[in-house]
Amino acid sequence: MHLPPPAHHSMESSDMPTASIVTRSLTKSYGLLTALDSFDLAVEQGSIFGLLGPNGAGKTTLIRILTTLMRQSRGEALIEGLDTRNEGRAIRRMIGVVSQENSLDRYLTARENLELHARLHGMEKRLYKSRIDDLLELMGLEGRQKDFPDTFSGGMQRRLVVARALVHQPRVLFLDEPTTGLDPQSRRAVWEYVRSLAGSMTIFLTTHYLEEAEQLCDRIAIMDHGRLIAIGSTQELKDRLSGATVYEIEFTGEGADRYAALLGSMPCVIDIKQIESKVTVTLECWECLSEIVTALNGAPVRRISLQERTLEDVFISLTGEKVRE
Amino acid sequence: MLRGSLAIWQRDMQVLRRSIFSELVAVVAYPLTIYLAFGIGMQSYIGLVDGAPYSMFIAPGLITMTAVNAAYNESVWSLWFHRRVQFTVESYRVTPISVSEIVIAKIFTGFTHGLIKGFVVGLVIFAITPFRFPLEHLFQYLLFLIPGSAFFSCAGVISGTVMDKPETIGKVEAVLVMPLIFMSGLFFPLSSYPPSVISWVRALPTTALFEGARRALVAGEMIPLAALQVSLSALLTFVAAVYIFRYKMSE
Repeated sequence: MHLPPPAHHSMESSDMPTASIVTRSLTKSYGLLTALDSFDLAVEQGSIFGLLGPNGAGKTTLIRILTTLMRQSRGEALIEGLDTRNEGRAIRRMIGVVSQENSLDRYLTARENLELHARLHGMEKRLYKSRIDDLLELMGLEGRQKDFPDTFSGGMQRRLVVARALVHQPRVLFLDEPTTGLDPQSRRAVWEYVRSLAGSMTIFLTTHYLEEAEQLCDRIAIMDHGRLIAIGSTQELKDRLSGATVYEIEFTGEGADRYAALLGSMPCVIDIKQIESKVTVTLECWECLSEIVTALNGAPVRRISLQERTLEDVFISLTGEKVRE
Repeated sequence: MLRGSLAIWQRDMQVLRRSIFSELVAVVAYPLTIYLAFGIGMQSYIGLVDGAPYSMFIAPGLITMTAVNAAYNESVWSLWFHRRVQFTVESYRVTPISVSEIVIAKIFTGFTHGLIKGFVVGLVIFAITPFRFPLEHLFQYLLFLIPGSAFFSCAGVISGTVMDKPETIGKVEAVLVMPLIFMSGLFFPLSSYPPSVISWVRALPTTALFEGARRALVAGEMIPLAALQVSLSALLTFVAAVYIFRYKMSE
């Protein structure tokens, strides 16, 4: 399929000259409710970008604006340099969208679903036929191409939705919670495929699975209450947490209670938790470890291990533990 | 411009081809039951209506009713299903076609369903009843049936766009659509109405449709004002359907 050359976007000055997706002061209000509040973002071309946020954070609103399904109240959003407000058709020509809902047509076979999508993109039959053959093979669906999606497993349906989004060879792929509801095997199959696309197109991913973001994304943004609250690589986000370090100390035999009390009285220990013979201590900084080791001299210690901070720790520390409706 | 409409309409026809037999059985059963129950069963009690046997009086109306009902039902349920259940409208909207192309496709699909099903019911009535009409009347009849089906298809699109709950769609059909069809002279002549009501009934586009279509098919008589009224109603509901759908999609 012939695609037009990359558009030269209209960013006059930017810290990311090859940005594929740019938002500036993007705001969406519904009456008194502000779903998206002066949101600024730049996503590098060819990267896999993850957007995290609790329910109601504004992720869906943002993705709907970026995919031209919704108009913003203020600010601007550019996809490959094209403005979502007045270049919607041109933008939709170059994006692929995997929405949260399974929007497959259950009255069409797998192949017919892809063919309809190709026709909606104005592709010629001779071009989309071979492209669809390739995609069905790639997704492991070539043997089921004449079957209806209702007869597919959740993982197969999801793979078909991804294939549909790729028929017209988009430059930007939006994946809105692409693996929700899938079993671990199917999830990993989708991850593998997304990873294989890396570099060939920009991938914008929203997910509730922090492991998914950690596994796939070059950069991750965390948003809440319509605002961007953190952005960076997984490691950069973890580094933003306070310098506190967490160690797990496992004791053998009796004595865990006594040593837990001893450690709890030390000034460098911020927090301590004990579950049977395992004591988890949060230290002010990693340098405090030597004091701990000294205090435990002669204690029946089986193992001392550093607990790595996870993306979930970062997410919870930024968005809080309260459950969102 | 209408590439998207054509692709969606072709999709709808592909689906219709697959289920054409079951669709037609269901569509034919209803008017045929009415024809047998009222046209044949009640004929001897009713006698002649407007100079014709009762079964002959209601036959053209049943063909028209099948067509417009099919147009309405296809549009309303298809649009509701694709918008609220299958989310296919959402998947169309992220392709480079306009919202107008989607709604125009759905209007044409409803319209096509109406014409096909009306034609099949006409054939069945022609085959199993003594109802006959000169073929040259068909052209005048189509001048009513085509805009009539378009009118009901557009009305269906409006209902399928604004109504989110299926039970509401059923209620509107029971309270608005069926009374409009049944009260417009399908089963009895308009002269049965009290004089004070007739002018109101005549103002309804459905009356113009059913009355004009019957006269065109049976007597070859053309009522230009009625044809104009049906066509204008179709045009207005088309504009309204496109506007309402676009508005709803922009929310």
